[in-house]
Amino acid sequence: MSATTPVLITTLAALIGAGLMALTFQRMARPAGVGAVVGALGGALGAQVFMLPLEYCTFASAKTIDHVIGLALVGVGMALLLWPANWIVERLRGGWRGLLIGDTQAGAFRGWLTPALLLAPTLIILLLFLYYPSLDTLWLSTRSSILGIPGTFGVCVDNFTALLNDASYLKALGNTAFITVAVVVFSMALALLIATAAYQPIKGARIYRTLLIWPYAISPVVAGVIFLLMFNPTGGIINYLLRQVGISGIRWLNDPTFAPWVVIFASVWKSLGFNILFYIAGLQNIPKDLLEAASIDGANAIQRFFRVTFPLLSPITFFLLITNTTYAVFETFGTIDYLTPGGGPLQSTETLMYRVYRVGIQNNDLGNGAAQSIILFLMVIALTVIQFRSTGRRVNYGA
Amino acid sequence: MKNKLFLLVCLLAFVLVAVTPALAQDKIQIKMWIAFTDNRLDWTKDKAARFGELFPQYEVIVEGYPNYEQLFSATALAAGNDALPSIVQYFEVATQNARDSGYFKSIADAIGDRTEINGVAVALDDIIDPTTAYYTLDGKFTSMPWNTSSSIMFSNMNILKAAGVDTPPATWAEMEAVCEKVMALDNAPEYCFTWPNHGWFFEQWLAQQNQEYANNGNGRDARATSVNIASDAAVALLTWLKDMSNKGYLYYSGARDGASWGTVDQAFQSQQVAMAIYSSSDTALYTETGKQNGYEVVASFLPYNQDAEGGWTGNLIGGASLWLVDELAPEVEEGALTWLLWFNNTENAAEWHQVTGYLPIRKSSVELLNTPDWYAAIEAMGPSTVWLNNTLVQESKGKVWFEANPNFRVASDQLANSKITPATRGAILGNFPAIRSIVTTAIDTVLLTPDANIPEILAKAQENANASLTQYNTLVQRALGQQ
Repeated sequence: MSATTPVLITTLAALIGAGLMALTFQRMARPAGVGAVVGALGGALGAQVFMLPLEYCTFASAKTIDHVIGLALVGVGMALLLWPANWIVERLRGGWRGLLIGDTQAGAFRGWLTPALLLAPTLIILLLFLYYPSLDTLWLSTRSSILGIPGTFGVCVDNFTALLNDASYLKALGNTAFITVAVVVFSMALALLIATAAYQPIKGARIYRTLLIWPYAISPVVAGVIFLLMFNPTGGIINYLLRQVGISGIRWLNDPTFAPWVVIFASVWKSLGFNILFYIAGLQNIPKDLLEAASIDGANAIQRFFRVTFPLLSPITFFLLITNTTYAVFETFGTIDYLTPGGGPLQSTETLMYRVYRVGIQNNDLGNGAAQSIILFLMVIALTVIQFRSTGRRVNYGA
Repeated sequence: MKNKLFLLVCLLAFVLVAVTPALAQDKIQIKMWIAFTDNRLDWTKDKAARFGELFPQYEVIVEGYPNYEQLFSATALAAGNDALPSIVQYFEVATQNARDSGYFKSIADAIGDRTEINGVAVALDDIIDPTTAYYTLDGKFTSMPWNTSSSIMFSNMNILKAAGVDTPPATWAEMEAVCEKVMALDNAPEYCFTWPNHGWFFEQWLAQQNQEYANNGNGRDARATSVNIASDAAVALLTWLKDMSNKGYLYYSGARDGASWGTVDQAFQSQQVAMAIYSSSDTALYTETGKQNGYEVVASFLPYNQDAEGGWTGNLIGGASLWLVDELAPEVEEGALTWLLWFNNTENAAEWHQVTGYLPIRKSSVELLNTPDWYAAIEAMGPSTVWLNNTLVQESKGKVWFEANPNFRVASDQLANSKITPATRGAILGNFPAIRSIVTTAIDTVLLTPDANIPEILAKAQENANASLTQYNTLVQRALGQQ
């Protein structure tokens, strides 16, 4: 890298920022010149957001991938400043008050002090326990750091690029996708089936509904222990029962074919109660007259379910889709750790979340672990955006 | 009335809470963190209480952590916040890390040339040779040895005898022959033997074949910069394990590293296997569980490769040692040293051995246990309730301990017979816990992949391990300026 690289990058960022903001201002019928100045400033500063802490190291590297990541980071940094700038300018159309007060819907606070005070506890907690650690993780992901050694040094984006060539990381990515999809699909489908049956007004319904929901109250670790005892290849009850019917020697937890399925089974069992609870609640809210009307029109039970019940359950389904995906990606950790500690036979149950723990905590490689958790973080953001954009539109919240 | 009573109780509780620390402050507090939560923690706490009676100016506060790895993390985090205790237990493979971290002071330096502290004899030359060989670096003790073990094998003699085998196998080949007989039984167990897929056993089997694990004299002449985990000795070991697994003799639970121990306990105690390769640390537990469930447990040396050049060289130790935190107040350091020496004195080391199976780390303890006088001596030192409630201990009262309990001398004998070479002293290297997990992953791959190419898998593991070691060494050099 020559000494002029930072200058070159900053100038380029300023020019792009100026162009973008000038266009935006023009569209909003404001002076394009002011927009260009705001944009140039925002672009130039935005380029520094990641590049100053990294000391423009990505452009000093011999690897092409580092340059690409560098440019992407400059882009993200610019967006981080230009987006709010754009938003503020749009708000300013209503004068200075528009910025602070926002939408004047009925029931909104009139001043800004009361809402700020009410939000303060949450914001302070988020700042201390979420935003600060996140920034710290981001910083750590660019360092070489080993737990137990007081000191680090910068390695630019090597922790990230190393993952691209790491076959076992890509394997964990595949495992995560597989386990997540399986858990979400099976858990929700089964829950809907059971909820539909349990919803029928039969004698003792309350008792067996409670019993159905009960596994949810068990911690993932305990669920892990229960399944560990059941599926233990030596002395477990599953293999004992299978032996009675002539099947023997299935190594449930140390065979790469079976182990992920045991994890999926345990996770589905664990989350089933939660899903049933919400589906029963959802079913109780479906207006009876709609179903009756459908009956009168000659719809049979299956048609009524798919044409009336299921669409009306879509808000619940959408909500459960998000919570179940989050559960499968993040909260299966305890179950995996108890059933197949270390990530399972041939790494078959190692999810991305589990891998962060294994690399960062068990193997003490904090820098690499931080890089992996940043990627996981980005994936979750992407997933949430996709879910809201695609499923969100087809959700029927009624009126 | 009830309300007033409640208020009074509250007030009293409040006063008590407020006053207690003030009272305790008269004593010099020595905080110790150890990686045990079971009866080993109870034992340590009992000892701390006894120490408080003998040395009323000190109060030893013991805190237990679930395992070595978590204690290691907790220590690193505490160091960042200036919240270190006075003494921390680090497992043997974290020795290099402990030295590099700068959190600790060498106990040899802290002791200086004193022969006693507060009336407690130093006598570090009384520590048994294999432990001394492992923990002396640059000719001095850097940490106080405590729980030392070796890897041995436990056999369920009821099964072995039913198969016509009177003594446990000593070599890999004998192991196979015994397994053939065991598995031919009508009521054969599900598998013949099992072992924890923990890096320590790989290291043991390499040492037996006199194969050094790392360069620069196993990291003892100078900082290790590369490992030799793809050597012929390693290939021979994995070839044997794979063969045993293919024949249906070896049970591999799939659990690795710290989690692997429990799966072995389970398989052996439910009598689903005839033999378990394990650590001598749990000799008491294995022997007693067998007794309670009606099967005889015999401990024997770790089976070795009969085809290795030079035969059996020896085994190395395992376990952990106690590190003295640097920059303690002088009176706290003095108290910590007094405690460390008293805690590992002849009687206490003998008692610790009896309730667990860890080696008696003092030669004088071994001598004591070779006489029938040990009971009175330990009783006079003020034994723990763990010891008083131990059935093996109580049944052996009045007898020579090692004669009454031959299982307990196996690990000592194995180490006493070992030739001390750089290989059997054990490797010292950075990032060792991470490298161990690379090794156990390689073993996992070999055992679970049909037609595994063992040399290739080991070569890949060696490459990864070297990368991990280089990362560590570079960090230490660049961030701490150490060579």
